[in-house]
Amino acid sequence: MKIIYLSILTAVLGLCLWCLFSAKKASVQATAAMVIVPLVLRLLLIN
Amino acid sequence: MKKHHISAFVFLVLAIAAAGVAGASFLSMRKSEYIAKGAGVSEVRMLSDWFPVLAGGPGDTEVYILRAGTGQHEGSDASMLVLGGTHPNEPAGYMAAVLLIENALAAAGTLYVIPRANNSAFTHNDPQEGSPQGFIIETAAGNRFFRYGSRATNPIHQWPDPDVYIHASSGQSLSGNETRNLNRGYPGKPDGTLTEKICYGITELIKKEGITITVDLHEASPEYPVNMAMVAHPNAMPLASETVIGLEMQDIAIRLEPSPVNLRGLTHRELGDFTDTLPVLMETPNASQGRLRGKTDEALVLTGIDPWYVRAEKLGRLYVPYDENGHPLEERVGRHLAGIAELALSWTLNNPDRPLEFAALPGYAELLETGLGAWLKAPLE
Repeated sequence: MKIIYLSILTAVLGLCLWCLFSAKKASVQATAAMVIVPLVLRLLLIN
Repeated sequence: MKKHHISAFVFLVLAIAAAGVAGASFLSMRKSEYIAKGAGVSEVRMLSDWFPVLAGGPGDTEVYILRAGTGQHEGSDASMLVLGGTHPNEPAGYMAAVLLIENALAAAGTLYVIPRANNSAFTHNDPQEGSPQGFIIETAAGNRFFRYGSRATNPIHQWPDPDVYIHASSGQSLSGNETRNLNRGYPGKPDGTLTEKICYGITELIKKEGITITVDLHEASPEYPVNMAMVAHPNAMPLASETVIGLEMQDIAIRLEPSPVNLRGLTHRELGDFTDTLPVLMETPNASQGRLRGKTDEALVLTGIDPWYVRAEKLGRLYVPYDENGHPLEERVGRHLAGIAELALSWTLNNPDRPLEFAALPGYAELLETGLGAWLKAPLE
């Protein structure tokens, strides 16, 4: 179950990173960066 | 490199820095704070000594043992187990256990204290509830920090929650998140979830050590009906009745509630049904876990002062008296300690050949006057 969870997290994190680097507007990039913060913590299993 | 790639990289660095700061704060919750071994502590063991499956895992926890020394009552085989920190967001239970460890002397019988019954639940809190990560008590020798955890086992250690939690031994259905509530898992299951394994370990300790009385220390929202109360299993009802009378004679108002037959998994039900111990549970009013509270911070944990609860009391919505003075932590800890002392006294009056007596504990009025800090050892350097 944990593997599935981490796999989904990794996929979503990858999409966020793609969004961050492909977006040209700073506001979109800032939003993507904010979404990345909890995803990184979840991926590292830090609450 | 294109311009928007440079800005993306800057945002990524900022995100990683924010994750680092937040992560460090979350990880700090996993470090157990210092509890001083008082003069009365004879031995410190781990719960895994009674159920080795827990060894080295997040559910393993310290068990402090205070045995009577040489003296008149050395031979008494009576014992009491005190569970603090079943719910780490109910700090009076935890702090009462800490005060027992740092001060109590067993004059007769044996006292077992588990300050962090659900150790995993101390490793996180409920940020979306606005809960503080901890609180500070001032002592003469410096400040002591104590953790304010969550009601439930850390989902990092036990995940996922089922939609419906089925209590193992009764088949009772409860909300899925109750699967991580220690006080819904008794008597436990050796091959169950982490929470059920901790319950099983505690049940094993009670059985193997032949614990006479088990006291589970809790707190409740001021709007919750079972409050300023002692809940007792039918086997423990005579003892609890005398204890409540004794507390009332000290002007400590307390209700006596019978353990509901149909609410399963709780200490005061299952430990009485599955072991020979006499289980009771005590509740004190804690505004910081209530639904009607206003600003939630460390001060609310320590003082219980909340204007919204004063208003709710005036509207007749509460089950406990509530005024501008709140219900400070020392009052709530004092209630628990007075209950423990009175339970031991009531037991001893009825069983003079098997006495249970704990000395050097602060009295209720004394604790109100001096505060908790006067009864805590110096912080670790």
